[in-house]
Amino acid sequence: MEQPIRVLLAKPTHDSHDRGVRYLARVLRDGGFEVVFMNFLLPEDVLSAATQEDVDVIGISSSAGGHMHVFIEIAQALKESGQQDVLLMGGGIISSSDVKKLRAEGVGRIFGPGSDPDEIKSYIRENARVATGTRN
Amino acid sequence: MSSAEDRDKSQRMEDEWSTEYAKMVGRFGDAAPKQATSPRSQSGLPLKSAYFPHDLDGIDVEEQIGRPGGFPFTRGNLAAQHQLMAWANQPVIGYGLAEQTRERMDYLESQGMIGYFGQRFYNLVYDLVSHEGLDPDHPAARGRIGQVGMGIYNVRDMERLFDGMDLRKINVVHITYYQTIPALAQYIAYGEKMGVRPDELRGNSMNWYHQSAYVGMSAFPADQGLKLATELISYCSKHMPKWNTTNFFGYGIEEAGGNAAQETGLMIAVGREIARACIAAGMKADDFLPRFGFQFSQANDFFEEISKVRAMRRMWATTMHDEFGARDPRSMHVRIHSHTSGAVLTAQQPLVNLIRTSIHALGAVIAGTQAMEVSAYDEALGIPSVEAHTLALRVQQVVQEETNVTAVSDPLAGSYYVEALTDQLARKAMEIADEVEKQGGFVAAQQSGWIRSEVEATSEQWREQVNSGERRIVGLNCYKVEENQEHEVFAVDPSLEQLAVERIQELRATRDNDRYEKAIAGLHVAAAEFAKAEVADLGSDRLMEASIEAARAEASTGEMMAVLKEHLGWAAPHEF
Repeated sequence: MEQPIRVLLAKPTHDSHDRGVRYLARVLRDGGFEVVFMNFLLPEDVLSAATQEDVDVIGISSSAGGHMHVFIEIAQALKESGQQDVLLMGGGIISSSDVKKLRAEGVGRIFGPGSDPDEIKSYIRENARVATGTRN
Repeated sequence: MSSAEDRDKSQRMEDEWSTEYAKMVGRFGDAAPKQATSPRSQSGLPLKSAYFPHDLDGIDVEEQIGRPGGFPFTRGNLAAQHQLMAWANQPVIGYGLAEQTRERMDYLESQGMIGYFGQRFYNLVYDLVSHEGLDPDHPAARGRIGQVGMGIYNVRDMERLFDGMDLRKINVVHITYYQTIPALAQYIAYGEKMGVRPDELRGNSMNWYHQSAYVGMSAFPADQGLKLATELISYCSKHMPKWNTTNFFGYGIEEAGGNAAQETGLMIAVGREIARACIAAGMKADDFLPRFGFQFSQANDFFEEISKVRAMRRMWATTMHDEFGARDPRSMHVRIHSHTSGAVLTAQQPLVNLIRTSIHALGAVIAGTQAMEVSAYDEALGIPSVEAHTLALRVQQVVQEETNVTAVSDPLAGSYYVEALTDQLARKAMEIADEVEKQGGFVAAQQSGWIRSEVEATSEQWREQVNSGERRIVGLNCYKVEENQEHEVFAVDPSLEQLAVERIQELRATRDNDRYEKAIAGLHVAAAEFAKAEVADLGSDRLMEASIEAARAEASTGEMMAVLKEHLGWAAPHEF
């Protein structure tokens, strides 16, 4: 049987906009993914949860700004610890210029408001390390 | 209906209509849209495709509709709706630090932003760092200082923000999340410094602890939140008669995906909970109820959103009168700040949002709102640009000055449809409120997760309808265009972060440290005692007094919140 893809979805504690990310958590779980959902204060919190839960994908939701250093620090920490095969992606209200910068930092796709959940599922299936066979 | 004969006539009209309507539907066969054959409101209430006089049969015109300004206030709090006094323009303002926020306040005022009878109103929102109860030099503050709100962290920031203003002459809404008491304490302490007594201050505290039932930000535990809300109301009922103590955040329910019946029903439920707590703490209904206000969403279903507001007025007046002994009409009034829905706006073709918000604003005015925020068209992209903020104000001004909808109080009264829908919504919402009572009240229904799961189920249903195309959204699932246009997004100057950090460090270095230490120690004592208290033990206002003393001693909001979190607890309110 195929190994389920493990996804950590994380939203900052101070961001009240969690409707999208919680919906996505439900959709992914119903779609056969293993989902861990958390609120976080610091990027470190996300990293330690990701390691502890041994996830293949980290999805950061941000709809109130303040996301740049979160993505960048997580991306760097993944690289430094040899976990660049963990797919880091995002969603929420993130401007197109921020998206460009994040992509350049190696962050995966950012799904804005109104994104099609099927497209997100396919994206994860095609790019998670389980699917690409890169999981250690 | 006045007589059986009238009823028969009305029924005959409906029968004739119904036959013709069925023929028309038949002609379109299977292509007839669902809304033509089984119409529903957006909150799922069954509708008819046309209404007749007998649709008002179950409604007592005098008891349940009444007149504008008369119990049960379905038709409005006062005899005059907007004829003598327009609603207050209350655009939400706040970004960057004190200076940037003040600049936007002054700018919007120069563009005609105005309160009742020409008063100056400022609807100010705090930033993410404040909401979380942190100081700007906390590691989690990075990237969040002055975002989605103003970075106002202590009395010195208050001085920068209100520099040169006479606090007696302005009305200030403090949009806080759970740092309500520290933020009010800072404002009171600043007022004292300027020689203004608390009883001269006008404005609002949000007192939004109840929103943690349906919003996922970290929060105090629900029972502690109820006590914190009661503490502020108790203090203000003695010392701040002009201060609006509590705002019932229905808006958050619709934004979280709830529907109109849930929005109003849950606000009745939390209203009952807070009123009970205040009475247990020794207050009388007519002493605290007149200072309560409401924030409601004005979203897409035009008639339902208007009917919702009318239903809410009837339900609140009836509940407060019958269950809590309210007798002062002001205790039964639902004073509304309408906020046009942000959740129904789209990031796609953002200018289309201006059309949506205009329709929402029109609905809010027809419903008889007292104050309004119109969402900016670039809401789904980021913090409003100056242009978007100005246009949002212009929406209000166009409705006010050009449409003539302000000529008549409650203009939709008597519409068979609107009256029937108002009644239907009131019944549905009271069912929800009563279900919460059965579960032991709002706090219990929050603790069990029932409220969150109810709202979330509706939210998911909405989303599924959008995904399947059953609910159509222009630019999102129909009438789409290639979204290659780059929209200029307003950004907060990142150098402000450094400035905020320097300022808080300077504050710590230059304040009277002995006084600060003493005040913080006093706050610890008060918070520890408060944490253990029952609702009925409240009324000494020691936590409020200790917070005000801490603000006087130039403690920051983050430092005060750290004390409160330590004693009361602080966590994400919902599991997944």
